[in-house]
Amino acid sequence: MTMTKLAQWLWALALLGSAWAALTVGALGLELPSPCREVLWPLPAYLLVAAGCYALGTVGYRVATFHDCEDAALELQNHIQEARADLRRRGLRF
Amino acid sequence: MATGTDQVVGLGLLAVSLIIFTYYTVWVILLPFIDSEHIIHKYFLPRAYAVAIPLAVGLLLLLFVGLFITYVMLKNRRVTKKAQ
Repeated sequence: MTMTKLAQWLWALALLGSAWAALTVGALGLELPSPCREVLWPLPAYLLVAAGCYALGTVGYRVATFHDCEDAALELQNHIQEARADLRRRGLRF
Repeated sequence: MATGTDQVVGLGLLAVSLIIFTYYTVWVILLPFIDSEHIIHKYFLPRAYAVAIPLAVGLLLLLFVGLFITYVMLKNRRVTKKAQ
C-alpha cells in the first residue's frame, strides 16, 4: 500500500503493455485466429481514441446540461458593481 | 439547463465524439469479422490508417501545445526585459 498512484498506473500500463506486445509478436506461441490478430495490434491506439472520445463527449454533455442560474448571475454582477462603487467612494483605487 | 450557444456547443461536441467513436469502433473492432467481400469495406480506409491518423493528430496536438508554450514564454521574457 506504499506505492504512489503514479507507480500503480505505470505498473498497470507496463503489465498490460507487455501482455499486448507478447500477444502481438506471437512470443507466447499461441495461434490466434486471423481476425483476432487484426483487432489486437491496433488496440492501444483504439483505447486512446476511445478514451479521448469519452472525455470530449463528457465535457460536451456537462456543458450542455449545466444548471445555469441567469437571475443569480445578474444579481451577483449587480452586487459586484455596488461593492466597487462603495469602495471607490471610500477611497480604494482600482 | 444551460442556454443558447452553450447548449449548441455542448451537444455538438457530444455528437462529434459519438460519430468518431462509432466510426472508429466499426473500423478497428468490427471490420475484421466481416467478410472481405461485403460492400461495407468500401467506406473504410486501409487498416494501417487506423493507427497512422490518430498518431499524426496526436503529434500535431503536441506541436500546437509546444508552440503555445514557446509563445507564452517568449512573451513573458520580453515583458521582463522591458521592465528592467
